[in-house]
Amino acid sequence: MPDLDDHDTAENRRARTADGPARRSVLRAAAGAGAAGVAATTLGGMLIPASAATRHGATARTGTPDTAHDDGASDVVLHVRDAAAGEIDVFRGTTQVRLRDRDLAARVVRASR
Amino acid sequence: MSSHREAPEIAKDPVADSTDVYAFVSPDRPRTVTLIANYIPLQGPAGGPNFYEFGEDVRYAIHVDTNGHSEANITYEFDFKTDLADPNTFLYNTGPITSLTSANWNRRQQYSVTRVDSKGRHSLGKGLLCPPCNIGPLSTPDYEAALAKPAVHTLSDGSRVFAGQRAEGFYVDLGSIFDLGNLRPFQNLNVFGTGLSAAPGVNATKFLNVHSIALQVPISRITVPGRPVIGVWTTASRQTVRVRSADRGADLNTGPFHQVSRLGNPLVNEVLIPLGTKDFWNTQHPVHDKQFAHYVAHPELAGLLPVLYPGVFPNLAALDKAKTARVDLEAILLTGIPSGIVPAFTNFTGPTPADMLRLNTSIPPTTSSPNILGLLGGDAAGFPNGRRVFDDVVSVELRAIAGVTFKLVESSYTVDAAAGKLTDGLTPADLGTPYLRHFPYLGVPYDGYHHPAH
Repeated sequence: MPDLDDHDTAENRRARTADGPARRSVLRAAAGAGAAGVAATTLGGMLIPASAATRHGATARTGTPDTAHDDGASDVVLHVRDAAAGEIDVFRGTTQVRLRDRDLAARVVRASR
Repeated sequence: MSSHREAPEIAKDPVADSTDVYAFVSPDRPRTVTLIANYIPLQGPAGGPNFYEFGEDVRYAIHVDTNGHSEANITYEFDFKTDLADPNTFLYNTGPITSLTSANWNRRQQYSVTRVDSKGRHSLGKGLLCPPCNIGPLSTPDYEAALAKPAVHTLSDGSRVFAGQRAEGFYVDLGSIFDLGNLRPFQNLNVFGTGLSAAPGVNATKFLNVHSIALQVPISRITVPGRPVIGVWTTASRQTVRVRSADRGADLNTGPFHQVSRLGNPLVNEVLIPLGTKDFWNTQHPVHDKQFAHYVAHPELAGLLPVLYPGVFPNLAALDKAKTARVDLEAILLTGIPSGIVPAFTNFTGPTPADMLRLNTSIPPTTSSPNILGLLGGDAAGFPNGRRVFDDVVSVELRAIAGVTFKLVESSYTVDAAAGKLTDGLTPADLGTPYLRHFPYLGVPYDGYHHPAH
């Protein structure tokens, strides 16, 4: 699955710059350690049923629940708030990052069907 | 009740449901302030096999505003952890629990205390043990001495803390209040009460328990020089997302903590805020309470009293009809009482309307014959100057809403004769067990063996 940075948009970059270093660092933390896992964990284990994941391709099923990290620090949850606007909340640990990425939102919505 | 199950959604989440907040200068240690936040309402003492406990997934907090800006300058956070020694038994305890380290105690809790202030986050204590619930004479013999007292811990900054089960100290005749305001001492006067005769109040919380987080802090640690008045409130927060994960053995909680419950003054969300707004109110910070000020200035209950008791409150009815803003209630509940209103007294924090319990720490505790009506009874050490465990906040607020305190701001107003007599007919004598004279002040919790009925 693509890295979040692969979906980085000019709009996102502008938003991160405007929000300053704190938000930027949070976003980078999420995009770094969990970047590949965002889509993998979410698509594979959270948002869509296994049958749907299979239907849309095995790439969504790379994530396997890790009982050693049940505190949630390694889990990432996506909430597509507004697919048309590409508004996505990303939850991990005790942080939340809001992305605006129409392409990624559209992909997640498609995967959930 | 003060804030027990006061909003539709939080009523379904008792572990995060704040029920009462107390803040008072400690009568036996007058250089300290005691702050108590209660959670998990209406506990039947015979609550086995899963006895009541704090939520591991809830962040409990007590906030203190020290500079009058209605925002937290100091926050104490409490995070709990549950330990299950033997998952292969259904028993809470496998023998008598005679100490906090008893091997017979199967499911126990510990917690940490963190102080957050302008200098950062400070760990004040970790691995602090809660006492067990009071189960019965065989399981928890010598409860207070062997289990509750050892659960009073001294923190690294010299403060003291206790977190665990206590006897409910808030007394209220819920049955009468929510039966169309059929206040039991006066039900013969209620418009629907034809044929009823006056009867004593009934304490609906008698023989029930609650979970308390109690903190006793040196006054110098929670005030700034020249500002003795503090604002106090509690909150409970949960992480934004919960994913039910039965296949993993535990749910996933993730995302930032999101406030789901708060409490400052008693009965505000319970009685003043309308049903459709209560849960939203719980998510808001006091500094944003201007949006709710209308409900305080024009309380629905003030309009109901003259209807429920025809002819009894004619002057209050006139106030309601004129849509007079109740600036007295706004002062008591949202800003504190400025100086010049009550002789030699103020607990004003500033003009920002915010629901906080306001305590003037420079007023010494009343140690001889305190009046349960607090300031209304001439006792400036009591509610609404903070709140002591025994204060009769129901009667105080009923009387205030009925117009007793409006005369403080409008001297030409004539208080209805009945307003000063309003009560739900209860006093601390209606409790099932006495308060303690020492920290944490709330009484020994009822045990399930002797009080199984609730």
